[in-house]
Amino acid sequence: MAANTEKQSTNAFAAVGRDIAEIGTTFVRGDWKTKLSYLIFGFGPLMRGQIFKGLGYLILELLFIWYMIGFGGKYLSKFSTLGTVATQKVGRKTVYGDNSFMILLFGILTIIIIAAIILVWRMNIRENLREETALKEGKALASNKKFLASLLDENFDKTLLTLPCLGIFVFTVLPIIFMICVAFTNYDANHQSPTNLFTWVGLENFRNLFSFGSTGFAGTFLTVLSWTLIWAFFATFIDYFLGLAVAMLINKKGIKFKKLWRTILVLTIAVPQFVSLLYIMKMFASDGIVNAYLMKWGWITSPIPFWTDPTLAKITIIVVNIWVGIPYLMLIATGLLMNIPEDLYESARIDGANPFQMFWSITLPYMLFVTGPFLLTQFTNNLNNFNVIYLLTQGRPQSMKLTGNAGYTDLLVTWLYKMTVTDTNYKMAAVIGIMVFLVTAVVSLVVYNMLPSVKDEEGFQ
Amino acid sequence: MNDKKYASMSKRRAIGNAISYVLLILISIIWLFPFFGLIMQSFRSYSSEYGGMVNYIIPKKFSLDNYRFLLSGETNYLIWYKNTVIIAIIVAILQTIIVLCVSYALSRMRFKGRELLMRFWLILGMFPGFLTMICLYFLLKQFGLTQAGAVPGLILVYVASSGMGYYVCTGYFDTIPKALDEAARIDGATRARIFFEMIIPMSKPIIIYTALVAFMAPWCDYIFASYVAFGNDKSYNVAVAMTRWVWTNDYQGYFTRFCAGGILVAIPVTILFMALQKYYVEGVTGGAVKG
Amino acid sequence: MKKKVLSVLMAGVMTSALLIGCGSSTPAAPAEEAPAEEAAAEEAPAEEAPAEEAAVEAPEINADATGEIKVWVADNVVEFTNQRVADFMEANPEFSGFTVTVEPVGEGDAASNMITDVEAGADIFAFAQDQIARLVSAGALEEVAPQNAEAVKAENDPGSVAAATVGDTLYAYPLTSDNGYFLYYDKSVVTDPSDLDKILADCEAAGKNFYMEINSGWYQTAFFFGTGCTLEYETDNEGNFTAANVDYASDKGLVAMKEIIKLASSPAFQNGSAAGEATNLAAIVDGTWDSGTVKELFGDNFACAKLPSFVGDDGNTYQLSGFGGFKLLGVKPQTDEDKLNACDALAAYLAGEETQIMRYETVGWGPSNLNAQQSEAVKADEALSALAEQLAFTIPQGQYPGDYWSLATGLGDDVIQGNLTADSSDEDIMKALQTFQDTCISYAK
Repeated sequence: MAANTEKQSTNAFAAVGRDIAEIGTTFVRGDWKTKLSYLIFGFGPLMRGQIFKGLGYLILELLFIWYMIGFGGKYLSKFSTLGTVATQKVGRKTVYGDNSFMILLFGILTIIIIAAIILVWRMNIRENLREETALKEGKALASNKKFLASLLDENFDKTLLTLPCLGIFVFTVLPIIFMICVAFTNYDANHQSPTNLFTWVGLENFRNLFSFGSTGFAGTFLTVLSWTLIWAFFATFIDYFLGLAVAMLINKKGIKFKKLWRTILVLTIAVPQFVSLLYIMKMFASDGIVNAYLMKWGWITSPIPFWTDPTLAKITIIVVNIWVGIPYLMLIATGLLMNIPEDLYESARIDGANPFQMFWSITLPYMLFVTGPFLLTQFTNNLNNFNVIYLLTQGRPQSMKLTGNAGYTDLLVTWLYKMTVTDTNYKMAAVIGIMVFLVTAVVSLVVYNMLPSVKDEEGFQ
Repeated sequence: MNDKKYASMSKRRAIGNAISYVLLILISIIWLFPFFGLIMQSFRSYSSEYGGMVNYIIPKKFSLDNYRFLLSGETNYLIWYKNTVIIAIIVAILQTIIVLCVSYALSRMRFKGRELLMRFWLILGMFPGFLTMICLYFLLKQFGLTQAGAVPGLILVYVASSGMGYYVCTGYFDTIPKALDEAARIDGATRARIFFEMIIPMSKPIIIYTALVAFMAPWCDYIFASYVAFGNDKSYNVAVAMTRWVWTNDYQGYFTRFCAGGILVAIPVTILFMALQKYYVEGVTGGAVKG
Repeated sequence: MKKKVLSVLMAGVMTSALLIGCGSSTPAAPAEEAPAEEAAAEEAPAEEAPAEEAAVEAPEINADATGEIKVWVADNVVEFTNQRVADFMEANPEFSGFTVTVEPVGEGDAASNMITDVEAGADIFAFAQDQIARLVSAGALEEVAPQNAEAVKAENDPGSVAAATVGDTLYAYPLTSDNGYFLYYDKSVVTDPSDLDKILADCEAAGKNFYMEINSGWYQTAFFFGTGCTLEYETDNEGNFTAANVDYASDKGLVAMKEIIKLASSPAFQNGSAAGEATNLAAIVDGTWDSGTVKELFGDNFACAKLPSFVGDDGNTYQLSGFGGFKLLGVKPQTDEDKLNACDALAAYLAGEETQIMRYETVGWGPSNLNAQQSEAVKADEALSALAEQLAFTIPQGQYPGDYWSLATGLGDDVIQGNLTADSSDEDIMKALQTFQDTCISYAK
C-alpha cells in the first residue's frame, strides 16, 4: 500500500517534471512565433492562421491582466489579513473600511483565476508545439471553419457543457470554497461586514465544536447528529416498507378504482409542501384541530403536546413524514412490482407458498436489489430533509441543555440554517456545513460499497 | 368437491378484498383530511367568525371573504403569485435545456475528464445547500439581483446549478440504443444534428418530467427566496409571503387567509401535476432504478 | 484532451471573473477606496465636530440633495406611515428631493435583516428594543442626531429613553411605550383577576384555557422579577456585553420557578401569547397589540387588568412583574450626510407627538411621548390603562444578548416538556437555575 502511494507520487512528480521539460524544450526548439507566444498568448496560432484559437488565448490573457489590475490584485493583497482599515466616522457621516467579506470572496476568486491562467498558458504552449510539429511533418492545420464546425460535432460536448459548468462554478463551487474558508475565520454577529472586520482564526471554531461545557458545541452537536441519523433511518425505511405495502394493496388483483386510490395519494406530492405541512403543523398544535376534537369528545382532558414534548415531537414528525413519503414510494414500487415476472409467483404458488412467504422470498429481495442505490439516495436526502422538519417544528422544542439555539428535533441542516439566519453565526454554520458534508460522504461511501446491485452492475455492464 | 374448494377460495378472496377496501378507504381519509380541513378553513367567514385557530372544522358560515381579501389588492398577493409563476415557467424552460445538454454530453460523448466531472459534481452535491446562502446573496448583490431584482436573481441561482441534476435524464438517454447514433453518424450527421433531430424528439417523457419537477420547485422555496428578497415586499414569491402569515406574530388571524392562499396555489400546480402524472411516474421510477 | 476540457472550464472561470468584475466595480469601489485617503483628508472636520455638537445647532440643509429613503415598519402601519410621510414632505419641502418607500417588514424580521446586510437594509426601521444591542454592535444604528437628542429625551417617558440608550448614547427614537403585557380575561369565566390560582381554578372549572408564553424570555420574567430576582446586563458604547448581574439561582428564583411549574401543570394552561392563535380562550397574558382580537373574541365579556399575584411555595404573596417594553425607530449609518439629515428629520417626525397620537387613533399603539400619553383618548383606553397599572410593577427592559432569549426558551421548554415537574426535587430545580445563571453570565465578556 505504502509502496503503491509512493509510486503514484513519484509518477506525479515525473509527470510534472516531464511537463516542465516539455515547456523548456518547446521554447528552445520552437520558432520565433512559438517563443513570443510565451509572452503573448495565442501569438503562434494567430500567425499560423488559427484565428479563433489564437484570439481565444489572447483575449483570455488580456482579460486576466485587466482583471488583476482593475480588481483582483487589490483583493489578493489583503487576503492574508482580510482587511485592516476599520470603519470610522467623519463628522456624522460613516466611512466604511475594508470589507472582509468581499476580500475573502474575491481573494478566493483571484487565486482560482491565477491557477487557471497558468493552465491556459500551459495549453497555449502545447498548442504551439502541436501546430509546429504538424507543420514540420507537412500536414495542413485544420481550417478555422473546420474548427468551428467541430464544436457542433466531435467537440460538441464542450459546447454543451460550457454554460452549465460556468453556472456551477460561480454559484456552487465558488460559494462552497468560500464557506469552507469561513470556517477558519471569526465571521459572526460581532464581526460583520462592512462595519466590522473579521480575520483568520485557524482551527478555533473546530475546537469550539468539539468542546464540552456551557458554551461549547460538542454536547449539542452529538445530540443533533444522533437525531439526524435516527431520523434519516426511520424516515427512509418506514416509508419504504409502508409504501411497498400500499402499492401491493392497490395493485392487488380484484381491487377496483386503482387509479382513484393512486390519485388520492399522489395529491400529497402535487400540493406544495409549505401549504400542506404548515397546515398539518397547525392541525397538531396544542390549540389545533386534532387536540380540539379529542377534547370535545372527552378522550383527553389536556392537549397532547405533539410539538412541545421532544420524544412525542420526534414521533409525530416521523408519522407525518409517512404521510409525505408513502405516495412517492408507492409510485416507484408500483412500476417495479409490475416488472417481477409473474411465473415466479406462479411456481411459488404451485409449491404451496402463502402470500407472506412469496413476499418474503420473491418480492422483497427483488425490490431491495433493484432499489438499493435509490434507498441510499433517499437516506442521504433525508439526512438533509429541511422542509419536513422546519415547516413542522422549526427544530423545537429547545432546551437549556442545548447550545447555539438548537432544538431537539433539529437536523444538522436546520440547525445550520438557524445559525445563518437567526444568529448570523456564520463561522459555526460553516463548521456544521462541513460536518454535514462529512457525514453524507461517509454514509454514502460505506453503504455504496456494500450494495449488492453495485457489485453486480459492474459485472452486468 | 372441487366446486366447494373453489367457492371457499373465492369467498376468501372476497373477504381479502373487503379488508383491502376498508384499508384503502381508511388511507384515503387520512390522506385527504388535511386538504379537506384546508379547504373548509379557507371558506370560513372572516368577518362574522374569526381568522385564527378555532376548535371546529366546518365553518359556521361559508364565505369568500378570504379569497376576496387576497384578490382585492389589499396585499400584494397577485404580485407574489405573478412572481412565482414567472420564476417557475422560466426556470422550467431553462433548467430543462441545461439538463438536456449536460445529459446528452455525459451519456453520448466520451471525453477525457468525464468521469472526473461526474465524481466532482457528486461530491459537490454532498454539501448542504443552505451553507452557501450568505455567499450567494452577496454574489447576487454584486449583479444587483437582490431585493428589487430578486426575481431574476432567483431564476439565475436555480438555473445555474441545474446541470448537476442530470442523473434521471442521463439514465433515460442511456436506454436509447447507441446503434441509432452510429447509423446516423455513418450517414454523415453531426453530433449536434443527432442531438436536436433524433434524441430530443425521442425524449418527450423525460423533457416533460424535468420541466415539471423544475416548475414545481420554486413554488415551495421560502428559504432562499426570503433571503434574497428581504425587505422588498413586491419581489416575494407566494411561499415567502405566506409563511410569514403563519410564523410571524404581526399577522394574527391570517390563518384562514393562509388557507385560501394555499388553495389558490395548490389548484393550478395540482392540476398540472395530475395531467402530467404519467411522465412524472416514468421519470421517478426510472431514476429510482438507476439510482 | 483532458486539457481541452480544462480549457473549457477555464474559459468559464475567466468569463465569470469578467462578469463579477463588471458587476461589482461600481457599487464596491466607493467602499473600497474611500477609507484610507478620505479618512485622512477629512480628519480635520472630524475634530471640529465636538464644538458643533456642543452648540447643538441644526445642520445646514442642502435643499438640492436627492436620494431614496427606505422605511421598514410592520404591515399594519404601512398605510398609516405612507400617509405621514406624505404629510412630512408637505411640511418640509427642503427634503423634496428624496423619495421615500415604505415596506412591510415586521419588527422581528427587521433586526435580523438589517444585520444580514446593512447596506441593503432600510434607512429608517422600527424594531423592538430587545434588538438594540445587536443592531448597535453590527453597525446598523446611527446615533440620534444631536439636535434631536435632547428633545427626544425630554418628551418621552424615561423607560423608553433608557431602552433606546446603549452605554450613554441615544441610538433610537422611542415609538411606543406599549410593549408590555397584562391580563385579558373573560368576565363570565374569571371571577377574581387578581389571583393566579383563582384564575386557573375558574378556567379549569369552565373547561377553558389560560394562555401565557412561559417559554419566552420576555414573559418568563413576570415570575422571576415578581419574586425579586435580578437579570440585567451592562453594555459598553459599542453594544458589547461587559457584565451580567443575575441571581436566578437563589431562594427567590426557586419560588418563581416552582410557580411556573405549577402553572404549567394546570390542565387549563396553554403556552402561547398570541390571542389570534388561541382556542377556547378564557384568559391570556398578552399586550395591547392584541386588544382588538381579544375584544372580538370576548365580546361583552371583555375585560383587562394588571397581572395577578400568586401565593408562592414559601407562603408569601407575590405580584407578577415583567418587562416594560418599547418599540423604537432607528436610522442606519449613512455615507451621505444630506441623506442622514433627511432621515433624522423624518424619523423624528414619525416618532413625534402628533404622529404618535394619530398612530394610536389608527392602530391603537400606546404612545411613548409624554404629552400623547396624557391625551383623552389614550387615557380612556381600557387595555392601555391596564398596561399603565401593570407598568408600576415592571422593570424597563434593558439590553440582553440574543442568546439569552434562546436560553430562556430552553428553560421554559424544559418545564413544558416535563424535564422539570412538580415532582422534581428542589435540588434538581436549583441545578437547572444554576445552569441558567452560569450560562447567562458566560454571555458577557
